[in-house]
Amino acid sequence: MDFSFSKKEEKFRQELRTWLEENLPQGWLHGDRELPEDINEYSRFLRDWQRKLYEGGWGAIAWPKAYGGREASLIEEIIYQQEMVRVSAPPLVNYVGIHMVAPLLMQMGSGEQKSAYITKIISGEEIWCQGYSEPNAGSDLTAIQTTAVKKGDRWVINGQKVWTSFGHLADRCFLLARTSKGEKKHHGITVFLLDMHQEGVETRPIIQMDGEHEFNEVYLNDAIAYDSDIVGEIDRGWQVMIALLMHERTGIGGQVFTLEQQFQDLVTMAKEWTEDGQSVIKKESVRNALIDLYAKSRGSLLNYYRNLTKTLKKGQPGSEGSLDKLIVSEATQELFALSLSIQGPHGILWKQDAAIGDSYWQNKYLYSFGMTIGGGTSEVQRNTIAERILGLPKDLGR
Amino acid sequence: MDFALNKEQELFGSYVRKYLTEQGTTNIARAFINGDRQRFDQAFQGLVELGYPSINVSEDYAGMGLGLLDMVLPLEEMGRSVLPGLFLETNSFAVPLIEKYGTEKQKQKYLPAIADGSLQISVAWIEPKGSYKASSIQVSGVEKGDDFVLNGVKSLVADVELADTFLVPIRTTSSSHEEGISLFLVDKAMIKNVTQQQSIDETRKLSQIHFEDVIVNKEQLLGELNEGDNILEEGLLSFNASICAIMVGCMAAIVDMAAEYAKIREQFGQPIGRFQAIKHAIANMKVDLELSRSLSYYANWAYDTAAEDRQESIFAGRIFIHNALQKAAAANVQIHGGIGFTEELDCHLYVKRARYYEHYLGSRESYYEKAAAALGW
Repeated sequence: MDFSFSKKEEKFRQELRTWLEENLPQGWLHGDRELPEDINEYSRFLRDWQRKLYEGGWGAIAWPKAYGGREASLIEEIIYQQEMVRVSAPPLVNYVGIHMVAPLLMQMGSGEQKSAYITKIISGEEIWCQGYSEPNAGSDLTAIQTTAVKKGDRWVINGQKVWTSFGHLADRCFLLARTSKGEKKHHGITVFLLDMHQEGVETRPIIQMDGEHEFNEVYLNDAIAYDSDIVGEIDRGWQVMIALLMHERTGIGGQVFTLEQQFQDLVTMAKEWTEDGQSVIKKESVRNALIDLYAKSRGSLLNYYRNLTKTLKKGQPGSEGSLDKLIVSEATQELFALSLSIQGPHGILWKQDAAIGDSYWQNKYLYSFGMTIGGGTSEVQRNTIAERILGLPKDLGR
Repeated sequence: MDFALNKEQELFGSYVRKYLTEQGTTNIARAFINGDRQRFDQAFQGLVELGYPSINVSEDYAGMGLGLLDMVLPLEEMGRSVLPGLFLETNSFAVPLIEKYGTEKQKQKYLPAIADGSLQISVAWIEPKGSYKASSIQVSGVEKGDDFVLNGVKSLVADVELADTFLVPIRTTSSSHEEGISLFLVDKAMIKNVTQQQSIDETRKLSQIHFEDVIVNKEQLLGELNEGDNILEEGLLSFNASICAIMVGCMAAIVDMAAEYAKIREQFGQPIGRFQAIKHAIANMKVDLELSRSLSYYANWAYDTAAEDRQESIFAGRIFIHNALQKAAAANVQIHGGIGFTEELDCHLYVKRARYYEHYLGSRESYYEKAAAALGW
């Protein structure tokens, strides 16, 4: 048992830390982290950051050197995430491209697809989104109804996608569409690399309960794709999607490290927040709730490390990822709920009237409700844990 | 980065599992409850032969000189079996204290005997209606020549019958030490008056010990006079790291039991494990089990390596794991339905052991206070 990192790994950390200090946007390290409000400026800001990472050799560290990566080990990827969380680095606008689409194309894309897309992904020139969920296909992705029909040399695509992150900024979409009615529901699905800049594609914003806009609806009305845009085989998109998920090596590491930091911030807040002149951390109920959360957030991190150790030894991740996802999302939700309780009656104040700073706690609290839904609901994770890890029978209806 | 037990530790754990399985796991506890000690004695001898009691005794005193982390998996196995016995009290509480504070004579007298399984120690701390706080200790020790004369009553003492010696905090107040608590090693031969107490957890036989002019030689004082309070605090670190492991073992057995039952029990024409109300309850147990296991491994590692965060890891770990165990034990009864409510199945053994651990050697509330203090809050 050893929680330290090797000299080589620490050298890697230092190199990245130094680079970040020199290259983060102006004022970022000193807390000036406002992202532009205007959508075009916002998009430019995030693309510029992606490009800067790429030019510094930090755009996609796990990729092969030939594509601009540095063939980083899994541990180096973990360190990368820790350091990004440490400085609260700007969001990675091209997460889908870097961690999913490009590695998949390297594995099973055509030569044409590789040369057309991979470099543009790492440089931030082209942003990718995922076209998975639909109004009637949430937890049950096999229920997708978007269709792609071959007409001449074109595939004509119709349907609606929803919960498309950064869809409003994206240039291309990794899209699941039904190309035939298979014997089983997950048969007959095909993966298309869809051009988002065309007449048949319309994105509309979804305003979340925290007032922000990260997700979109995407309407497909006779959108066009070609044979050359298909990944893998026609009607066998399900296997392609499974292969794509396997490329997300570090799992929810980023969220785990973020939770660790958020817990420290919460403790600081509870020490500074006073009620009738006394710090609320001295209240027994607050103190006990924080101890419970301390155990849970430490437990999340330690459990993640224990599963990581297994992955390192086995060479590939197991079903334990669903456990880590469930743990970290629920703990994060609990943390922000407590953060508002701690502020007493004033916790209800929002935006410019929030009792603390920039309404950070209220915004995060509201946002945290999405964490147990997005990326697989807690219910789906519990099914996976029970069925894949404990061997319980599959659910009714499946 | 390597957060896993090593091969030797895994191997040792698997030996203990194999052995306790052969011995009938919870049947040892069931026999013990019914007053048949033979099965326990046999299991204990087997664990002695495997080397358990010598693990953390130093090599100078015929032990293996290993740490708490080496005891984690054997303890998990004991938890699975709800095994009776003074394993925690002897090896996890007394051994580290005797190693650190014992005189050479005390070490010679106790450590090799613990290592070879011929001596076990119980803790006689709390008093009738009292708490574990130092201020609550009333049993008095009055100095008389080379001896101390002890008077008063200790309560809830575990397994007097199995114990050979007791660690006993005694009030040794004098004019210069108003709050003096001292720790004595009292051999059973000196104790004459013991009365049994009925406990919910019948795998542990509880008693009151009545000290009526019990004479203990000064050589039996562990550590400095009037320093008993601090010494006990230190013992609680190792004790609690180990109790984390044994509770994880209880939970592991519960999860296995609930999952197996949900696969074979059919209602409405299908295994009940297909219903999410059951399935998700079991998944929740599993999540808590894995979190608990990670916290337990870390707490034990932190103790062995004297890590900076060892106190908060151990105390917050105990709170979390105990809470998780108590929830899992209760859910296990519910998942089993009617049969889970019977004496026949093992469900109740875990419920009762979980309850026993709630405030054992320190109340839940006191551990919140200790964890907060360790975190500097």
